[in-house]
Amino acid sequence: MKAVTEQLWDKFSLDFLRNQVLKNAYGNDDTIIAKIDPRTLLIWYIFFGVFPWFMHNPTLLLGLFIFVAVTTRLAKVAPLVLVLFCFGVFTQSGYLLIVSWFFGGNLETLAPLLIMTLKVSITSLASITVFSGLNPDRLASGLLWFGCPDQFAFSIAFAYRILPILMEEFQNILLSYRLRGQAPDNSGWRGKIRYVIYQVRIIMLSFLPLMLNIAKRSRTTVEALELRGYRYANQNKVIKKMKIKMLQLSQLDFYFALISIAWLWGCFVVAS
Amino acid sequence: MNKSMTQSQKLMVFVLSMSLYGLATLFTELIPSFQVGIVEFSVEYFIFIPIALAILFDPLSAALGAATGEIIFSEIMLGQFGGLGELEKFITITIAIYIAGRLVRDPKNVKNVAMVALLAVAIQQLMGATVDILKVQFAIEGFEAVPGLPESVFFTEGFACLNDIVFSGVLFSMIPSAYLVPRLYGKIEPLLGVRPRDRETKISGVKLSPKVIGICLVAFLVAIGGEFLSETGMSLIDWEASWAESGISIVMSMLLAVVVIGAVVIKMKRRTNLEVTYD
Repeated sequence: MKAVTEQLWDKFSLDFLRNQVLKNAYGNDDTIIAKIDPRTLLIWYIFFGVFPWFMHNPTLLLGLFIFVAVTTRLAKVAPLVLVLFCFGVFTQSGYLLIVSWFFGGNLETLAPLLIMTLKVSITSLASITVFSGLNPDRLASGLLWFGCPDQFAFSIAFAYRILPILMEEFQNILLSYRLRGQAPDNSGWRGKIRYVIYQVRIIMLSFLPLMLNIAKRSRTTVEALELRGYRYANQNKVIKKMKIKMLQLSQLDFYFALISIAWLWGCFVVAS
Repeated sequence: MNKSMTQSQKLMVFVLSMSLYGLATLFTELIPSFQVGIVEFSVEYFIFIPIALAILFDPLSAALGAATGEIIFSEIMLGQFGGLGELEKFITITIAIYIAGRLVRDPKNVKNVAMVALLAVAIQQLMGATVDILKVQFAIEGFEAVPGLPESVFFTEGFACLNDIVFSGVLFSMIPSAYLVPRLYGKIEPLLGVRPRDRETKISGVKLSPKVIGICLVAFLVAIGGEFLSETGMSLIDWEASWAESGISIVMSMLLAVVVIGAVVIKMKRRTNLEVTYD
């Protein structure tokens, strides 16, 4: 048992996290979902992210769920993302169910909760498909096309590039803190709690030097941006047009839309 | 000498707040939580980072940066982007941090900083809990009729909110902010080429901001008010009865509120983008 937990902790190291996030971002450019135009995917997502909330028919919802599960499979999402997704969905509904029993709930409470879980799952899986399936640069230019503020589109592209650097820097500071202090004994449940408190405290303390370091970095970044006229380019329509020129609709987009609509129509027919 | 920040310095604060808070949310997603009975000891968020930045620099840039960072790092990167639900988080975090940054006149006053940091968490959690309760009510048809569900939703949400205000508010906002702000004051500003903030520093949008916050709060209250009026059957509007489902009117009012809030935020952002100042 101890070996298993140790293995789990090893998996959740910073390196693992970094690899998973980067794999999620850049590792799956060869999937079908990644080849679809970001605009098509975003419209598709807006529909699947909003529509399920207004539906109460279980058959229809189940049909939609199967569809988004297939698209998630096609997007080849990183395992960590899926684990977090399952964990989030089941803890939320499970907790609510257990508490409702204390207030005189019964099996009838289960059905509405299952429907709610289904809705949450559909919208989350749709977002996983779109936001994990797309390469961040394509996602950013897709958002730009829809008139999303350039600052946000820039932030996405920037965040993916700065993350490995940030993590490395953070890890160095964290390790230097660990070297200077002695970790408490983590045997027994009290020791475990003390150990977690120690870890969280060190993580928080590490942010003080990190803030100073990143302040220097962000100044350099913004100065580099200013040299290239970033803020003026932001307001210039010609430059915006150049930026989103790479987006092109293809036959794939057409088929994707067609399949989605056909499936949806099929679900409606079966449900009614 | 102009004492307000230039546009590029605001962009620096935005980038700084976004990267730091984004990184912090990645960790808080993964730190395990303890549950003793129904009291949950979890690390909700490291909100002290953007609060400290909002107090030391321009509040609006820090607030928008933090909200953007959270969405990009922990939602989009980890593929947990939840659509409309994220809009709510974005707005509540922005409002809470912005208010915190505005309320502190002198960053050297530690007591003031500590109180404001706690207040920011309380504001954010109360708004979040309200939206959460409403969300469950929409998702479940005939919410009131399901045995035991309404009470349990109100109970869990209310308790979680109180729990977070006390636990996260004190441990992850009040104490670290009171620790960080005096240590960073005067040290981090030169790195961005900014003067340390004092009582005379002009903060962007002085005339506008109370109004903007007012509009945000009104939009929020309208959403809640419309919700409760329709629940108790006190239909203020006559044509409500002609709707096929009573749920639709609630959904419409909520959507309208979301649109209004979204428009206000976009307007806020436009204003900050447009007001170019030169030193």
